[in-house]
Amino acid sequence: MSVDRYSRQSFLGASAEDRIARCTIGVIGLGGGGSHIVQQLAHVGFQHYVLYDEDIVEESNLNRLIGATSADVPAETPKLHLAKMMVYRLQPHANIRGFACRWQERPEPLRECQIVLGCVDSYKGREEIEIACRRYLMHYIDIGMDVHGKERPVIGGQIIMSSPEGLCMRCMGFLTDEKLASEAAQYGNAGPRPQVVWPNGVLASTAVGLAVDLVTNWTRSSRTHAYLSYDGNQGIIRPSITLLNLPVKTCSHFSESEVGDPVPLDL
Amino acid sequence: MKTQINLSGSLYAGMIRDLTRPHPFAAERVGFVFGRLGSLERDDRLILLTRYHSIPDNQYVEDHTVCARIGSEALTWAMQAVYFGRSGREGIFHIHLHGGRGEPRMSAVDRREIPKLIPGFKSVGPDAAHGIIILSSDHGSGWVWLHGSTESIRVDRISVIGSPVELFENRREQ
Repeated sequence: MSVDRYSRQSFLGASAEDRIARCTIGVIGLGGGGSHIVQQLAHVGFQHYVLYDEDIVEESNLNRLIGATSADVPAETPKLHLAKMMVYRLQPHANIRGFACRWQERPEPLRECQIVLGCVDSYKGREEIEIACRRYLMHYIDIGMDVHGKERPVIGGQIIMSSPEGLCMRCMGFLTDEKLASEAAQYGNAGPRPQVVWPNGVLASTAVGLAVDLVTNWTRSSRTHAYLSYDGNQGIIRPSITLLNLPVKTCSHFSESEVGDPVPLDL
Repeated sequence: MKTQINLSGSLYAGMIRDLTRPHPFAAERVGFVFGRLGSLERDDRLILLTRYHSIPDNQYVEDHTVCARIGSEALTWAMQAVYFGRSGREGIFHIHLHGGRGEPRMSAVDRREIPKLIPGFKSVGPDAAHGIIILSSDHGSGWVWLHGSTESIRVDRISVIGSPVELFENRREQ
């Protein structure tokens, strides 16, 4: 590898290149957000990946799916294939374990990760990933965006980091029973949600920044959690007001008894 | 078979803090840390450390032929803790620090003395994994006795899930 390849990111620390190269990182969902994330992780120097996506490229993905071309629609190219090719073009010796299925169907490889990035659409999907990350002691970074309103559309989004023993997405006020119940009630009726490339890029870049900081600690912030809100109309990311106003200091939703494989009960 | 250990950054920091405290007469401190099992692909194993137990000063035995010796009270406590944690298949790891940097290895005393604890732990927690962890200032090594095995396996990687993430990889065979 060229000595100069990472010279422009030497401020990350003397050991950063080695730390990044040895870390195993998972990405769940390789669509609008995940495709940005994988590309950036490869640029930064990550070498070990566990990737999940069961979808193929469709016409409606071309407005935002990084790496996709018009030819991928008739070819029915798996999004997983696009992600792997993006990594291999930058990191030919990368170790990629890719799964064209839901992560729940092959959960074991995910447990080898130190950091998991989730790019899924639903609250339920986020909750399931966070539970797995708590159970097997992994950092979880979630991104998501939505567009609200038709007359005056508002782009919103979030980047959340949930770490073992830190505040979880429920503590941070992001996941609530009401949101999960409302989503469950609308299941199948929501239709395709608006998605565009630039908010995905902003959210993905911020998530990669958090991941790089977790691996290198170059900011010396030693974060235990993060909840950043994105205002896509203003083009601003700021710490979540919800989190700032919550008096919660420790997580009460996950306990050490829930760590590890579930133990069968003898009844 | 690959064996890995994960622990949170706060647990790691807490153990280091405790193990580096001076003791009134012992040259080093030891502790116990509990671990639960997680499955990986094939028969690979993940051990997830959950909590640390600091051994009280008065449970050390004064013996200047070794760096630290703990008495029967500490060992009884550990055996009871394993027994009470058996429904969760929670095992126990003897942990201590070696000075300096780099990948620590067992000293001659470690090799001779610490494995003697394992049969006792296995007798009260037969379905759990038990073992030994040795940390240095920037690395760590582990040996684990899995369910049904009388031989130890060297842990391939210890991942500290904190900020920063620390990865202590086994670069030696045994």
